[in-house]
Parts: sequence; structure tokens; C-alpha cells
Amino acid sequence: MQDYLYENNIDKFPVAMAYVPWQKFDKMFDDLEKAYCTGTIFPELDKPFTGRRCV
Amino acid sequence: MGSNKEQLLRDIGIVDFVLTELTLYLDTHPFDRNAMEYFNHYNRIKHQMEKEFSMKYFPLNTGMAESNKEWRWGMAPLPWEGVCG
Repeated sequence: MQDYLYENNIDKFPVAMAYVPWQKFDKMFDDLEKAYCTGTIFPELDKPFTGRRCV
Repeated sequence: MGSNKEQLLRDIGIVDFVLTELTLYLDTHPFDRNAMEYFNHYNRIKHQMEKEFSMKYFPLNTGMAESNKEWRWGMAPLPWEGVCG
């Protein structure tokens, strides 16, 4: 489950393919109530939709 | 964490949500020690809360249903009881 570094392997990535960077997790939300209402415990996944574009 | 029944039940649900999130993450990151520590921590907390709830009110699962005078699992209210009035 290694993440192939995109920067220095750019030529090896075929076109027309989607790539999702590997989630790196360090600290989760302390306030569990807020995390529950937000819908995730991972700050890096907290991406509220703001009507035009994600933050 | 809350004390009365509704609050304790809600808190158990929130900790259960945290464990579900961590489980999903660990399924794809099986060697992430940091995440495992978080999981172990909240897993113990959830068990304590469930035990407390079971002693104070009624068992939430049959694993908590040790009984002597009456069969506590069977006597527990059904989840929908008293909800639709």
C-alpha cells in the first residue's frame, strides 16, 4: 500500500487515469461531538461544500 | 460524557462512529500504529460506557446481558417502544 511519489515519477503515470493520493493520518479531531456533526474524525477529510467550490 | 440515559446513549453512538471511522481507515492502512492506538483507546472507552449503561439501564447487546433474577435482555425495552406514541 505504498504511495508512488507523483512528483518524480510523472512519466510513469499513464494519461486518462485517475490518481488519489494516499491518506496520511496524524491527529484526529479532539471534539468528538463536533467530529460527529462534521461527519469525519479526520481533519484532512473535512471538506465542506461551499456552494461553488470545496474549501 | 453525559450521565442521564439519553445522553449516555448518544455518547456511546458518537464513540461508535469514531470507531467505525478508524476501522475504515485501518482496513486500508493495516500498519498504522498511531491509528491503532486511537482505536484501542476509544474501543476501551466504548466498552466501559456500554457496561455502565447496561448496569444502570439495560443491556445494549447480549454480550452485556448477564442476569440472575430476571433475563435482562428479554426485559429490555425494544428500540421503537414509546417512540411512535
